[in-house]
Amino acid sequence: MLEVRLKRKLQGFTLDVAFKVDQEILAILGPSGSGKTMTLQCISGLVRPDEGYVSLNGTVLLDTSKKINLPARQRRVGFVFQNYALFPHLTVSQNVGYGIRHLPPDEIKEKITNLLGKMNIPHLSDRFPRQLSAGQQQRVAVARALAPEPEVLLLDEPFSALDSLVKERLQLELQALHEFYKGIILFVTHDLTEGYKFSSKIAVFESGNIVQHDDKERVITCPSNHTVARLVGFKNLMEGSVTKVQNNVATIEVPELGGAILAKVSNASRLMPSQRVTVGIRPEYVQLRKEAGENTLYCTMDRIAEGVSATNCYFHVNTVGVTRHYLMVILSRPDSGVIKEGQKSHLYLPPEHVVVITN
Amino acid sequence: MTETYLAPLWISLKTVLVATVITFFLGIAAARWMAHYTGKCKSLIDGLFILPLVLPPTVVGLGLLLLFGKNGPIGQFLELFNTTIVFSWPATVIAAVSISFPLMYMTARGAFEQVDTHIEDAARTLGASEWRVFWSVTMPLSWPGVASATILSLARCLGEFGATLMLAGNIPGKTATIPVAIYFSIQAGDMNVALILVGIVLVIAFGSLAAIAYWKGKAYKARAAMANREVVE
Repeated sequence: MLEVRLKRKLQGFTLDVAFKVDQEILAILGPSGSGKTMTLQCISGLVRPDEGYVSLNGTVLLDTSKKINLPARQRRVGFVFQNYALFPHLTVSQNVGYGIRHLPPDEIKEKITNLLGKMNIPHLSDRFPRQLSAGQQQRVAVARALAPEPEVLLLDEPFSALDSLVKERLQLELQALHEFYKGIILFVTHDLTEGYKFSSKIAVFESGNIVQHDDKERVITCPSNHTVARLVGFKNLMEGSVTKVQNNVATIEVPELGGAILAKVSNASRLMPSQRVTVGIRPEYVQLRKEAGENTLYCTMDRIAEGVSATNCYFHVNTVGVTRHYLMVILSRPDSGVIKEGQKSHLYLPPEHVVVITN
Repeated sequence: MTETYLAPLWISLKTVLVATVITFFLGIAAARWMAHYTGKCKSLIDGLFILPLVLPPTVVGLGLLLLFGKNGPIGQFLELFNTTIVFSWPATVIAAVSISFPLMYMTARGAFEQVDTHIEDAARTLGASEWRVFWSVTMPLSWPGVASATILSLARCLGEFGATLMLAGNIPGKTATIPVAIYFSIQAGDMNVALILVGIVLVIAFGSLAAIAYWKGKAYKARAAMANREVVE
């Protein structure tokens, strides 16, 4: 288990985080400049926090209160840098073998062959980094970091330098990595889909703080606050107030929509009547309906933005006297033909997908 | 008769060789230290290290004379061991090192600071000590810069005159390096000796330039050959 508590003053904000990670993959998600990379650097020992505590499977790596600060070389923490940082003057084999030169030569050779095989690059062993594509460089960087058998592997934005085709293939391969690497994996990303696909848990960072740290499913279905909700794809977020809570169904008055909407809530006791809340729904859960009914809004489509696999539609609510509020709906490509700009439709917001965020 | 030419040549070669080796290690040590140093006195120390480059060599020589002279702190300390530096052969080395050090230090530091810190950090996370990081990563990656720094220092050592004259004087067969010998030959009206010494310097200078060009060309060819190997997905 990896236990981390860090405090460090940075330009414009203070990094102040605390979390624990079991033998699992944790995605650190957040906008750039939220302290994600700094967190990895503090764990690996490359940067010393002002205050902090890091322990890994029972070994204390850092404890500023006890003046313990193991140097990076003694921490057994693997690090894959954003630009991969391969040694340009060494071949692929020499790169992978850099961290294990204390082993006998036969064992080094065997280990390199083994790792290059697992990363599907056995044929590249004599190449120099500049002769490799970005995807190949990444595999070498991962193999190099795994060679000394670290107890935790840190990946800093591992996919940001890759084009989308290579990215997808490598994501699949790195998922398979967990089958032969049994340690803890932490990886930093600003891309939700990447974080969701690759991890079991997600920690959401915002200007130096963790705003939510949960199973990935909980993070995308029950965001803890407005920022997380926006970051994890709740494009439709509206202010409202609770009017009634009954049988785990909350009725929430949303002036922006000109009426009340219903939301299924798991923990009804935290909601009080007249409490200010934010309601949100993912655009892919909003459904088009022919008739009015419970939880439907009569809307006009203003704009359509066609994408490759899905189409974004922007509606505004037709109720008189309401300031124009846009609702975004994502329709799959085959469905997007049913409605054109300027047409009117009923939008159904399924109560089980409406999320209530208390601020 | 050949003694007139061979003695200065021999003294110069010895001095240049020893001084360049000393400057090399002192320079890269100082450069490595300053590249990572983040204390308050950074610009002050940096200025002190570069000072001999901006001062006239005679001023540096005078400074060394004050340090190593009979009444200077180092001179008095060495007196305890019955050693005097002033007007001895080691003085030519000390003068050459003092003058060439800033060149080595400045150029090497620039080269070290060019190295991507992530690559050095990668070595650290792979268990490398600072010593190994420096010799296996920082040095190879800044090698072109360090090599030119060494060549610059060597050239400066060979041409050193002012500080050498102040500290080591002109003792034929002992401290008279080629530049010093040339100056005193002219002073004595011995134009022929001066010209022959100049010829020797020219041969050494062109010889080393040719060696550098040859070595660079070889390195370039090796790099080009490597780059030509195709990248196969």
